Amino acid sequence: MAKDMTLYWGSGSPPCWRVMIALEEKNLQGYNSKLLSFEKGEHKSKEVMDVNCRGQLPAFKDGKIIVNESYGICLYLEDRYKSKGTKLIPDNPDEMALMHQRMFEGLTLFQKMAQSLFYTRFVPENERHASAEERNRGELREEVQRWENYMKCDYLAGKHFTMADVIVFPVIAFLFRFGLCEEKYAKLAAYYKNLKDRPSIKSTWPPSWKDSPGMDTLKSL
Amino acid sequence: MAQDMTLLWGSGSPPCWRVMIALEEKNLQGYNSKLLSFEKGEQKSKEVLDINPRGQLPSFKHGNVVVNESYAACFYLESRFKSQGTKLIPDDPTEQALMYQRTFEGLTFYEKLASVLFYEYYVPEEEQHDSALKRNKENLSTEIKLWEGYLAKLGSGSHLAGPALTLADVVVFPTVAFLFRFGLSAERYPKLGEYYALLKDRPSVKASWPPHWLENPKGQDTLKDL
Repeated sequence: MAKDMTLYWGSGSPPCWRVMIALEEKNLQGYNSKLLSFEKGEHKSKEVMDVNCRGQLPAFKDGKIIVNESYGICLYLEDRYKSKGTKLIPDNPDEMALMHQRMFEGLTLFQKMAQSLFYTRFVPENERHASAEERNRGELREEVQRWENYMKCDYLAGKHFTMADVIVFPVIAFLFRFGLCEEKYAKLAAYYKNLKDRPSIKSTWPPSWKDSPGMDTLKSL
Repeated sequence: MAQDMTLLWGSGSPPCWRVMIALEEKNLQGYNSKLLSFEKGEQKSKEVLDINPRGQLPSFKHGNVVVNESYAACFYLESRFKSQGTKLIPDDPTEQALMYQRTFEGLTFYEKLASVLFYEYYVPEEEQHDSALKRNKENLSTEIKLWEGYLAKLGSGSHLAGPALTLADVVVFPTVAFLFRFGLSAERYPKLGEYYALLKDRPSVKASWPPHWLENPKGQDTLKDL
């Protein structure tokens, strides 16, 4: 089963990390794991383009079946391997509803983070404005505060670890990697510390993070 | 069931339209439908903020359960009402895989559309650049060609993930409809044109067609040269 699966991924990419957590949670260890380098442009290699014509990671194959897009892969795995490993989508309608909402709010959190942290990567020099950078940072602060206020239970959708955590934890981990203040965002920090030691997360921790310190870009957010 | 549901929405919003199509496909007509005005800023009214602190539409409630975010509401409805109406998530793994991929590529598709059509809405005037809008248009053009190619591969009369309508169509069709509303050429993109024609008469789509598009059948031509 897992031996017929191949995941193309890059270290430190939240979308890739999501899929790796999902594979661990569904007991699908043993898949072919192909670590590629964004810096060397390997996401645009023929090997990736053959699976994902967008030249993006993660790219995923399950035998002859291809699924790209991190949310798509995670939901496919839960659907196809429902009875294996952790149940990632709760049956209880209230929990299921909250799980879905948090999953998709996760897109906004990731987007606001990328817009602020990677402003100079995405915006050509002649189009940059201090006003835009300030606004993006303000929006990120507001968004992070919103998630801090969401943290009422151990997990994002309530008492149980769900797909919402699979999808969103990597983004929260990213925020702390970039120096988010653990005192100011104490509930998010508690969530982060609690989940860091979960086996699926420990075993998929970005290799490039293990031996290097993070950054402090978000220290004063 | 449907009477316990409330959808707060705005006309001409693809995310709102997705949820309306999903409700129709799952035979949940009869929900409380509250049309609000973006122009009057009603998405920031107390009525909305009580359900959705983000002050965004669509906002959706089923009894005491709130599900905001259009994709979340669509997935919730399919999950909760699996056995009623149209089956939106196929059982066959190959079809399912394609459906999931197209559904999430649909986010990129909408983002590229919005970056052109709503450029002036989202970017403050003093930060606008011709070079940025030009680049956004090029990116949208590349994206449209990609979807044209996806449809070409599947053949005439097909939906996005195979012969039958799935969740991928529910979330992506509104984006395609927007392209044609804003003047995309069906000659240049015949497969998308065919797909648009196929779905515009589907009952769920007809029933949820943006009311202000019915009032003004003539759209705009912003995308005519794309």
